[in-house]
Amino acid sequence: MLRIVAVLQTDCPTCRLIAPYLNKLAGASIPVTAISQDPEEVTNEFARQMDIRFSIERDPDYVTSKRLQVVTVPTLYVLDDREQVVREEPGFDKKALNEIAALFGQAPIATPYDGAPQSKPGCTSRHLEAVTADGTAPALDLHSTRGTSASVIELSDSEDPFEYCYRVFGDALPVIPPTRERVDQMLRACDRDAREIIARVPPCYGEATVEKIAANAVMAGCRPEMMRVLIPLVRAACDERFNAHGVQATTHFAAPLIVINGPIRRELGFYSRQNVFSNVARANSSTGRALQLILLNLGGARPDSIDMSALGNPGKFSYCIAENEEENPWEPFHVDAGLTREQSAVSLIAAEAPHGVSEHNARTARGVLKTISYALTTVWSYRFCGFFEATVVLGPEHVHTIHRDGFGKQDVKHFLFENTGVPLRCYDGDEPGEGKHQRGTYKEIRIDGEPCYQKFRDPDSIRVLVAGGTAGKFSAVLASWSTGPRGSQAVTYPI
Amino acid sequence: MPITLVNPLNETPKDAATPAPKLVSLRGRTIALLDISKPGGSIFLDRVEHLLRERYGVAGVIREMKPTFAKPAPPGVIEKIRSADAVIEALAD
Repeated sequence: MLRIVAVLQTDCPTCRLIAPYLNKLAGASIPVTAISQDPEEVTNEFARQMDIRFSIERDPDYVTSKRLQVVTVPTLYVLDDREQVVREEPGFDKKALNEIAALFGQAPIATPYDGAPQSKPGCTSRHLEAVTADGTAPALDLHSTRGTSASVIELSDSEDPFEYCYRVFGDALPVIPPTRERVDQMLRACDRDAREIIARVPPCYGEATVEKIAANAVMAGCRPEMMRVLIPLVRAACDERFNAHGVQATTHFAAPLIVINGPIRRELGFYSRQNVFSNVARANSSTGRALQLILLNLGGARPDSIDMSALGNPGKFSYCIAENEEENPWEPFHVDAGLTREQSAVSLIAAEAPHGVSEHNARTARGVLKTISYALTTVWSYRFCGFFEATVVLGPEHVHTIHRDGFGKQDVKHFLFENTGVPLRCYDGDEPGEGKHQRGTYKEIRIDGEPCYQKFRDPDSIRVLVAGGTAGKFSAVLASWSTGPRGSQAVTYPI
Repeated sequence: MPITLVNPLNETPKDAATPAPKLVSLRGRTIALLDISKPGGSIFLDRVEHLLRERYGVAGVIREMKPTFAKPAPPGVIEKIRSADAVIEALAD
């Protein structure tokens, strides 16, 4: 019979990340034993914080660690009856965890959308460290799964609750006071422990317990059923790939744009037609505002301190749209991210404010897309190529013209990719300019016979979705912030 | 009637760290220069390093760079500058 031995250190973030998955393995009747390299007191505290449901043995003299030749913590060992290592898995990796579950005949335990990264390297095993006089470091409480109840604030009769909340909790607009009754109503709408920590919100890493999310949702004007959306939304916002730490602190214009897809649009009243970017529906406005209040009040990126945006973004009040899937002849946006059409989803994109593109006279797909390509040329700064991305929100009238000419969504991306470039003549002269000194890395192409540098690194740097009303030949271009693993990556979570 | 509100603010306990003591003099000290990888940071820090060595008699300078300005410094970078007496960071373009 096989069993799992996991070697851990209580202050290793990756060990804390993997602990809930070990709970799941143990919960599936798989024999799991952890080996802690730390003293009894911090090991017990770790077990309490992480709600550990498997046995933990201490390894004070690193006897077991040395026998197993541990290099990295965590390392999972699958041992057979003769204590031989069948599989050794250092660090955290969801694919490996699911393969280990499969060795025991169990279904996958790690899903792609639970807020944790797909993989994370571990730390060096303590028995390899030089011995120091001060012993082990205290356990950092960065990964426990349960937080504490929110404190309560009693306001006297003389205090106006709206003025108080505006002054202490708000986004420079009045909010609905998060009374116990209103917050409890939110909590009743979601079947979760109020103290469950959904995520830690960067850059100050405040614990977003279900209760704290509910309190901010009340203030934003959300109806209780919106908790269905807010839980995966907060997970998505704190996904390492999205890099809320950078998005919230940058001097740039970026703000998290929420895109809602699937049946939940109708179920909860998310609006996708005219005025989609503005003040048209309570679902859009209150969800966007709830995320912003959570980022402010739990993440700590206040606009007068840690959020250093030079000019800001009106989307920092609320920035939430639904895709107009009914007017979209192609696959919806969340299907591009690998989900099914019937699966409701929430996506996050770090984006500037929408830049309008008017084209009322072009009669062909190529004509409409050419106009959009000129707007795309100015993303970030016109001479800077290859580092940035853009989201193109096509209005229904433009979509109809483009689709009528036989263009699929990939054709749109490819056409925009091949037709967006900056003429080489723009780089003449010695005057310094942003994007000029990187020109050695740019790809030269010809657009309508003119030598240009290609603006984007690949067609997938241009996201395409459909939204807006059916009257008016308009689309919008939304420029990105810093992109890829070194910046912010768009994320999509199922609801 | 008094009204009871659920506190929506971050109440996560924090570990307060004591700031390092202010250096009285740079002479004989080791100074870390952290480039966050924005354009121009290295030019600024080259000049700072020159001044530290020529004018202030520092014992040593540690040069480190974050892989991206858009994210916090990874533990490996922090570890390399941990032994310094002070850190000067080049933040912007």
